Amino acid sequence: MKDRRAEANYVYTVARLRGMENNLLDTAFFSRLMDSTGIDDAVKALGETSYSQWISGSSTGNFDKAIDSEILATCEELKSFVPDQEILDIFRMPYDFHNLKVLLKGLFKVRSGELEGRRYDLLSKLGTIDTDELTNSIETEEYGFLPYGLTDLIPQCWQLWEQTKNAQAVELLIDHHMFRAMLKVAEDLNVSEITNWVKNKIDAENLRAAIRLSRMKYDSSKALQFFHDGGTIRADDIAKLLNEPMDTWGRILSYTNIGKVLNSLNEQGDMKFALSDVSKAFDEFLLNVLENAKFSMDAPANVLLFLLSKEAEARNMRVALVCVAGGLDREFGRRLLSNGR
Amino acid sequence: MLGLSLALFGAALAAALAGIGSAIGIGVAGGAAAGVMTEDPNKFGSCLILQALPGTQGIYGLLIAFFVLNKLGLLGGAGAVDLTWNQGLQILASCLPIAVVGWYSAIWQGKTSAASIQMISKKPEAMGKAIILPAMVETYAVLALLTSILMLMGVQVG
Repeated sequence: MKDRRAEANYVYTVARLRGMENNLLDTAFFSRLMDSTGIDDAVKALGETSYSQWISGSSTGNFDKAIDSEILATCEELKSFVPDQEILDIFRMPYDFHNLKVLLKGLFKVRSGELEGRRYDLLSKLGTIDTDELTNSIETEEYGFLPYGLTDLIPQCWQLWEQTKNAQAVELLIDHHMFRAMLKVAEDLNVSEITNWVKNKIDAENLRAAIRLSRMKYDSSKALQFFHDGGTIRADDIAKLLNEPMDTWGRILSYTNIGKVLNSLNEQGDMKFALSDVSKAFDEFLLNVLENAKFSMDAPANVLLFLLSKEAEARNMRVALVCVAGGLDREFGRRLLSNGR
Repeated sequence: MLGLSLALFGAALAAALAGIGSAIGIGVAGGAAAGVMTEDPNKFGSCLILQALPGTQGIYGLLIAFFVLNKLGLLGGAGAVDLTWNQGLQILASCLPIAVVGWYSAIWQGKTSAASIQMISKKPEAMGKAIILPAMVETYAVLALLTSILMLMGVQVG
């Protein structure tokens, strides 16, 4: 909280968010949506929701665009009344870095002789940087106006690519930079709950990577490069986990909050099953990190909590529509639904 | 004349500080009410009741100011009574409970009202409970008002 004026503004902001929360779709709705007999039936069910204004057809591509349009509209609405725009930036930054990866990987392919390498269709409009401007600046190598230290990062990416021709190494470099940039924005914002959330997000990403590497039986001495600094758990400590059996990780990290999530997953046996369950548990954990903001009438963290709830809603929408459109097992789909609201 | 000045200063403090507190409290609750009504204008009635609650401290301050002015003979044109500095100080002290408690309690009642407004945004059926929470803060403003009245009644003038 920067000053008394900002505090007064957050009373309005949080009250408005409480009103908007009433329009969030709950898991019961998605469960009903999955019971739809076909995609037309599902579109009819969506007619009562705010997503209906964006749906113009019944193909999966159209649904993806509709879901992105809904989140973008939510961000634009919040932009009009949230006092600290940096909170919105923290939520939207991963989409900027996703766009950067898509553009650079496309150019890498083009330079390797693959003329159809560019995949503009994979760009997300949810980032803070306009996709056309980002595309133009990368294609023309004019990075001067780009935020979050991208001006320095992009030449580093090119240099790494020239040296290694390894797109995964470039992706890792971008991810490391993204988390550093997110942490810096959060620290400059000076809202402890949000800084804590970013740190926990880094932990969650590191542990997600550690679980993947452990399944691949990856050598722990070479694994440190995959983990990001800045979390509540040191990257070194996460790398050391790879020397231990996965079912002991929860106990080893019992001094952290995310350690309890690992323990709970271990009790359910989920660590041995789908990575999607692990991802779901971590996503819910990250929502819970901000849960205390719910009890405050003027906590800025409520803005981030609302956006994450909206993102969880969008994720549930994707799961439900893919299940209906693809005729997938509904019980499996229900298992993937997260309790965003 | 010093006694009269001290007594008037007390009346001014009671009306001003309690009034400032109420203005802040109503402002905070009003911000929350505007936020909720942007999404659901039908909640105007409930929001208005909760927003008005921190306004009572300003009224209590005004009441004490009138009480003092009446005691001093400044209302009705009968002319001011003669006061020693000691009597003036007694009246000033009598005004302090509602001035200070009214100021602070109105601000905190405004914050509680804002939280209650956010509560009815999600659970409109809990309106009764939403009123009780800020009303609890009111208790201490009422106690301060009573203290000020009893103290003023005990001051002998004229």
